[in-house]
Amino acid sequence: METSAIQGLHMVGVYHSYGSTPVLNNISLTVPAGELVCLLGPSGCGKTTLLRVAAGLERLQAGSVTIDETVVAEANLQLPPEDRRIGFMFQDYALFPHLSVLENVMFGLFRRDKAAAHTRAMDVLGQVGMARFADQHPHMLSGGQQQRVALARALAPEPRLVLLDEPFSGLDTDMRGRIREETLSVLKQTNVATLMVTHDPEEAMFMADRIKVLGENGRILQAGRPADIYYRPASEYVARLFGPMNMIDAVVTQGKLASSFGIMAAKRAAEGQVVRVLIRPEGLILSNGAGAEGGTPVDVLSAHLLGDSSMVRIQVREGANRGEEFQVRIAGAFDLTEKGQIWAHVDPRHVFQYPQD
Amino acid sequence: MVEITRSYEIEVETIDSDHRRLVKIINEITQALDDKREAECARLVPEFVTLSKQHFAREEALLAKNGYPGVEKHREHHAALDGKMDTMLALAERVVESTAARDALRKELIFFLMDDVINEDMDFKSFLMDAASRKGNSTDG
Repeated sequence: METSAIQGLHMVGVYHSYGSTPVLNNISLTVPAGELVCLLGPSGCGKTTLLRVAAGLERLQAGSVTIDETVVAEANLQLPPEDRRIGFMFQDYALFPHLSVLENVMFGLFRRDKAAAHTRAMDVLGQVGMARFADQHPHMLSGGQQQRVALARALAPEPRLVLLDEPFSGLDTDMRGRIREETLSVLKQTNVATLMVTHDPEEAMFMADRIKVLGENGRILQAGRPADIYYRPASEYVARLFGPMNMIDAVVTQGKLASSFGIMAAKRAAEGQVVRVLIRPEGLILSNGAGAEGGTPVDVLSAHLLGDSSMVRIQVREGANRGEEFQVRIAGAFDLTEKGQIWAHVDPRHVFQYPQD
Repeated sequence: MVEITRSYEIEVETIDSDHRRLVKIINEITQALDDKREAECARLVPEFVTLSKQHFAREEALLAKNGYPGVEKHREHHAALDGKMDTMLALAERVVESTAARDALRKELIFFLMDDVINEDMDFKSFLMDAASRKGNSTDG
């Protein structure tokens, strides 16, 4: 295994600490060319540090970083950021206010002659739909337009790796959806390896070919396709990243777990062990009858319309969880005036079991 | 062609040899896809899955034998890959009719190899190296 690597970013065995506080703990990851990998985790988990180590903005303390077939950092080697062929897009765009859009994009093309740099800058501005704004200054642009210019500046030098640090967090909801779709499309056309960090699970799911969840201990807790992470979260921590959860603690009895929502087979747990069962709000389904799947009668305590869905708070009337409250997400509005007993049952795709120590 | 560099070696021959065999078969699969030999690809993917499972069993035995404290967690990680292997098998059945399935299969294979097999194995590299130096010999076997 001595020869050339898969094109893209390879970080192997990376440790990093600030003083005595470890931030990254033996991180290994691969971002093949043409793929977009998202590091997902809460604030302070070290994801931006990992990005900065890849970029060369933080000195590598242990491990190695390879981009395409070039080792850019290891024990006795630290290539400076400008020699790594990286495009970096920051949360706040970091455009130079005193330079025009064209000059901002040409800034990273200092190694080319002026005519070639101009041609390349205009090409890439065209690619992101900003060529006609070339002579304007950043303050004259909307947030979304500035973001497009920042992307053009990152891509102009034809990097081997693009690093995106929470790139859409400064945009309003409507603009964010549009811009991230455009950004993804441009990145895919360029066939560049992209590593993006975000704390927003929806953003990660939309953008990523592969998500890596970074835990507070500075370790990658799970890696997979968005569907793997969402439907098969490896731990309670990962499951909870995707929003609020209903929680039931149940004891394994004859290989089964009993709750008001029915009996389910216990997975990976011993007899007598306590298992934490997490149910997503969208995993509880309300109906006017018990239905074929069984279920439990509930009282509706409140309902809040959130736009295209509603969050309904229910209280269980019977069984092991009698009196306990749960959150239910339903499509559309909930009609509080509807008569008749409401029943709740679970969609097993949104139910996860975690045996407790 | 997938080729992996020296930095990805675990420096335990049993495991590195398994990784090399997995790389070889991935290259055969991608070559079959490039050459539009879909039937060959459909035959090779189950072989890759079988080989992966054999590798997991060998690795778990090796880690247990050397007293690696994270062996149970690593076993759970292997068990959690069943869904991904099922996905690869399902994609392999669709490569004849679907370009999307061919593209998805290539992607799945690379990520599975690099992230789920090799990168995860880097976790215990230093433990096995320390164990080998304590024993003054190889951790293999």
